[in-house]
Amino acid sequence: MAIQAAWICLFAPLAGAFAITVMGESITRRTAAWLSTVSVFVAFAGAVVAFVELLGKSAEEREQLSTAWTWLSTTNLEIGMTLLVDPLSVTMMLIVSGVGGLIVLYSIGYMDGDPEERRYFAYMSFFVFAMLLLVQAGNFLLLLAGWGLVGLASYLLIGFWHERKEAVDAAKKAFIMNAFGDATMALAFFVLIWQTGSLEFGDVFARAEGMSSTLLNLVALGLLGGAVAKSAQIPLHTWLPDAMEGPTPVSALIHAATMVTAGVYLIVRAHPLFELAPTIQDLAAGLGAITLVVAGLIALVQTDIKRVIAYSTMSQIGYMFVGVGLGAYANGMFHLMTHAFFKALLFMAAGLVIHHLAGEQDIRQMGGLRRVMPKTAIAFLVGSLALVGIPPLSGFFSKDSILASALASGGYGQLLFAAGAAGALLTGLYTFRLFFTVFLGQPSQLVLDRDHGEPHHRGEGPWTMTVPVAVLTVLAVVGGWLQIPDVWHPFGDWLHDVAEPLVEPSVAQDLLASALAVGVALIGIGIAWVFYGARRRDLPRAAALRDILEHKLYVDELYDAVFYRPAVWMAGMWRRTIEEPLIGGSIAGVSLGARRAGSALGETQTGYLRSYALAIAGAAAVLVVVFLAVQ
Amino acid sequence: MDGPDLAWYLIVSAILFSIGTLGVLVRRSPLIVLLSLEIMLNAANLALISFARLHGGHDGQIFALTVMAVAASEVVVGLGLIVAMSRRRLTLDVDSFRLLRG
Repeated sequence: MAIQAAWICLFAPLAGAFAITVMGESITRRTAAWLSTVSVFVAFAGAVVAFVELLGKSAEEREQLSTAWTWLSTTNLEIGMTLLVDPLSVTMMLIVSGVGGLIVLYSIGYMDGDPEERRYFAYMSFFVFAMLLLVQAGNFLLLLAGWGLVGLASYLLIGFWHERKEAVDAAKKAFIMNAFGDATMALAFFVLIWQTGSLEFGDVFARAEGMSSTLLNLVALGLLGGAVAKSAQIPLHTWLPDAMEGPTPVSALIHAATMVTAGVYLIVRAHPLFELAPTIQDLAAGLGAITLVVAGLIALVQTDIKRVIAYSTMSQIGYMFVGVGLGAYANGMFHLMTHAFFKALLFMAAGLVIHHLAGEQDIRQMGGLRRVMPKTAIAFLVGSLALVGIPPLSGFFSKDSILASALASGGYGQLLFAAGAAGALLTGLYTFRLFFTVFLGQPSQLVLDRDHGEPHHRGEGPWTMTVPVAVLTVLAVVGGWLQIPDVWHPFGDWLHDVAEPLVEPSVAQDLLASALAVGVALIGIGIAWVFYGARRRDLPRAAALRDILEHKLYVDELYDAVFYRPAVWMAGMWRRTIEEPLIGGSIAGVSLGARRAGSALGETQTGYLRSYALAIAGAAAVLVVVFLAVQ
Repeated sequence: MDGPDLAWYLIVSAILFSIGTLGVLVRRSPLIVLLSLEIMLNAANLALISFARLHGGHDGQIFALTVMAVAASEVVVGLGLIVAMSRRRLTLDVDSFRLLRG
């Protein structure tokens, strides 16, 4: 029963995408939108059924595999179209289809009037399908297929407004960076096939212990490469901020609920491999820590409302990487879930603002929106507090459990804890810089213009947009109560059988981590209040630092100089030295030779009848002589 | 078999054929070229009939008849062309028709 529900969950969005594509203009745009929404909610219903089924079983029976058909078959490798239903995949199914469904519903209002709405909704359903395939895959190859399809769907959605050059460039960038991760993952899988002869999770994990440590490190590194690319961690992070060129609900779908969390899911799913390669697992945690600090710093100077939230996403996924890198799998997954709630909430509230201001995304043009959009302001405030980790909102429980795990992980863990605490300060600072700038203060000229001086003139948005925001506001508040350290931890127990945690922080560590994290977060909010809320002080004029941060640490420029320019230079050189003289030249030479030979042979055609007759007679004479001679 | 040897017939046939060929090659008037062609065809006929007589069969004779029919048709077409050309007051010189020149 659970497994049938899982199949329905997987294929409902695909059916939705297919139906919208096939029916084309025979259905209205609104129908297409509802079709897409319903298909994703059907998937959610399937996920809920599977979840309830699994809840009713004992912990040992919760893992179920279902193979519909053999997908690939060679002499010693057989790979089936296999779905895996276990607590981990069901958790991801619930998050992906649940938050995804709310986002698709929200899109109905947000994308209303776009000339290519049908295409948009077909892509959205397809994206959810790809993501569900990724999390439900019962073997590594199917996971890679979902992984690649997610990359494709995100490419299509980021570049949805294809007449804008920035959007197309951003889409290509995302695709290429993700393809890099796909490639490293594929290489890891090749090593696994070579060494273990299988790509089934169970077989691989059981046989991996026999591999040499070098190969294990390589495999884990390959998987980490994929995870880092998909989750936009340093050094493969540059695509995520640019991906904000897509429609806002896409940003919410990709950067909150689904795509970027795939890396965290992968590490948890493949945790036996990572545990056999502890260096790489530490590397994952370290990359997460670096990312969470760097992204927090860059978020401080961004002026695009969506880009600030995008950097905040990078930063929060950095926390998740720290968690799963240290072996606190349930904590990482827990933060993944709460983050899906409050980050989707923040994106969608930002989307309400952008929608209200007819596409304006520059926070310097905003201000005082609290008076115009009070409900949105509350939703955004709740999301911000949850993101910063103020109790009793969801982010508090999930982030602090990761920090506590870091504190319990020895010297390296304490280093990561310091980074995480610094990140918490930055989170408070950039989040409330955004909130204060956008919602508090005097209404800016743009805001006044949009409202003709009358508050509530345009309302806050259609119900399809406000309802998902309201639902997520509630979830962002209560989502964290699923796991309260030392009081009750159903979430941890639920995932315990899939991925047993490597660290168990003590009560004292839990309390210390929480106190410290909340303390520094409040300090961050306080600093933000001084500079942006009350505007008591002018910003420090650290021009050089500001410059570096505004250029995002020059990583784009670095990649440009290291990869792009040499490639262009080399291509130009090959063209000049190989293509034009050799390949192009040889073709020109062949044609010239053929033309010359033709005109030379043409000379023999005199046009005189007698010369042809002579040739015939001569040939006949020669033949006669030859025959006679041969005889 | 009465009369001269086969070789004599063939020699006559070869001489006739050579005369015809030479005529086709060197003469410029289309009319003469056609006449030379006829000589060549009849040289072939002579050879065919000689061999037919030698073997006592009829095949060669039938071939010869066919060649005559072909020759007659060819003359009809060729003469028709020549008449058409002279009607249009074109020069009756085969060397002036060299559209096939490369």
